[in-house]
Amino acid sequence: MSMAGKVALVTGAGTGIGQGIALEFARRGASVAVHYNRSEAGALETKRRIDEAGGDCFIVQADVARQDEIIAMVREVEQRGGGIDILVNNAAVQLNYDLFKHDEETFSRMMNTNVKGYWQCIQAVVPAMKQKGAGRIILISSVHAKRPTDFDPVYAMTKGAIRMLGRESAIELAPYGITVNMIEPGAVDVGKYERILADDPDAQKKLEERRKRQLAKFPMGRVGVPLDVARLAAFIASDESEYLTGSAIRLDGGSMLL
Amino acid sequence: MNHSAQVVLITDADTPVGRAMIRRFSAGGAHLVLNSASGGAEAAADIAAARASGSIVIVASLDLSVGANANQLVETAERELGGLDVLVHNNDLLAPASVETCSEALFQEVMHANAKSAFLCAQAAGKAMASRQSGCIVFVSSIHAEKPTGSSFVYSASKGAVKMLAKEAALELGRHGIRVNTIEAGPVEGDDERFHSRLTTLYHSYETKVPSGQLGSAEDIAHAAGFLASAEARYLNGADLRLDGGFLLHYMDHKMKRPKGGDSP
Repeated sequence: MSMAGKVALVTGAGTGIGQGIALEFARRGASVAVHYNRSEAGALETKRRIDEAGGDCFIVQADVARQDEIIAMVREVEQRGGGIDILVNNAAVQLNYDLFKHDEETFSRMMNTNVKGYWQCIQAVVPAMKQKGAGRIILISSVHAKRPTDFDPVYAMTKGAIRMLGRESAIELAPYGITVNMIEPGAVDVGKYERILADDPDAQKKLEERRKRQLAKFPMGRVGVPLDVARLAAFIASDESEYLTGSAIRLDGGSMLL
Repeated sequence: MNHSAQVVLITDADTPVGRAMIRRFSAGGAHLVLNSASGGAEAAADIAAARASGSIVIVASLDLSVGANANQLVETAERELGGLDVLVHNNDLLAPASVETCSEALFQEVMHANAKSAFLCAQAAGKAMASRQSGCIVFVSSIHAEKPTGSSFVYSASKGAVKMLAKEAALELGRHGIRVNTIEAGPVEGDDERFHSRLTTLYHSYETKVPSGQLGSAEDIAHAAGFLASAEARYLNGADLRLDGGFLLHYMDHKMKRPKGGDSP
């Protein structure tokens, strides 16, 4: 599916899933605004790979926990890109703190980025989308919007909140031709383990052992990769998904079924 | 049901549901710690009745979206009444809020009142309860943890957050013999005004959408909390109890058709 002529803003596109979405959208012909907050090197890497492949992108920076920075970012993307057709909310914080390790500061940091930031990015892109009578908003959530993590209660709280943010936004924005959907990925391999093992002489053996463990836990014999999420996001962003709104699509290779 | 000598902490005790909780738990013989914005004034009759029936009632008036206050409230229960057995988190701030026009201040106010206080109370109560390897937490939530309101996205988002908090706490605190559940309360009298929406007709003639034709009451919610806090519910953990008389079962937004020609179906 070609995305030529579309402008997409992807938050958190310097790392992991966001980077995967930015690369795939650009490969399909979209002009991509690659957002980062602190992962500048990652954003540059995303841009380098898009440039190399002959795609079109530019980098924007903002702390999505701050409304003023969100508004400035969205205006910049609208000006440079000539509008925004697709917003992918992806930038999120995860701390892996248990119930007692979290405090008010960590709670607020996560809520402000993962929930308030998602909402304020929506709020910022809606006026222009309304005017155009079309828009696609995709919220990257998690299977932990429904199933607890047992490693970060606040992370799951933010995803539970996003689930309702998406549903409410869907009914509120449907009359304007704007759809809002959520992707709930399970485990996604963003290469962290390989980086940890970079200097480990037993790396090959350890990776092989991990692959065997995954065979048992994941019906398809592997964990997800960013490209899996990117392909679903591309479908949701396409004209073929016109009637899809307010939906949360679990994307976990069936792992939650075991 | 017997709550004899149980120590029960009830937040937002001034609301109709909060006052029904006071009546329900004091009738079972519990001692109470109440957090009341009015300092007990708006629940005065229920507090007096509870005391007359032998319950010790301690009243506080704290902002529970501040961690130190949540800790202080739980410490009061521990120190004055010998240990907290049950937390009923009943915060339920609702304000109209559209995705397009809501202000950041309103967003934070609702999130803090409903979700942050739930988190801080779960932390404080969980710690105290874990030290005794026993306890029970009930979050009074709403069907709008699942169903959009069409009038306040931040309300339903805050309830969605509490839903996941309860499940996380059920896992983490469950190891310490603590059970955590939510009540997803459905329509009661006045909800057509509380949840008035220009986008949906969910609350139009809403009593006719409950299969029995009867709305629920604050008492129904208090009874459910009483059950969840009792020994009979010892295996209920991490559950969301939809308490709506079947209101949400419709495939789409439909009024019930009353049976024709008499009462038999």
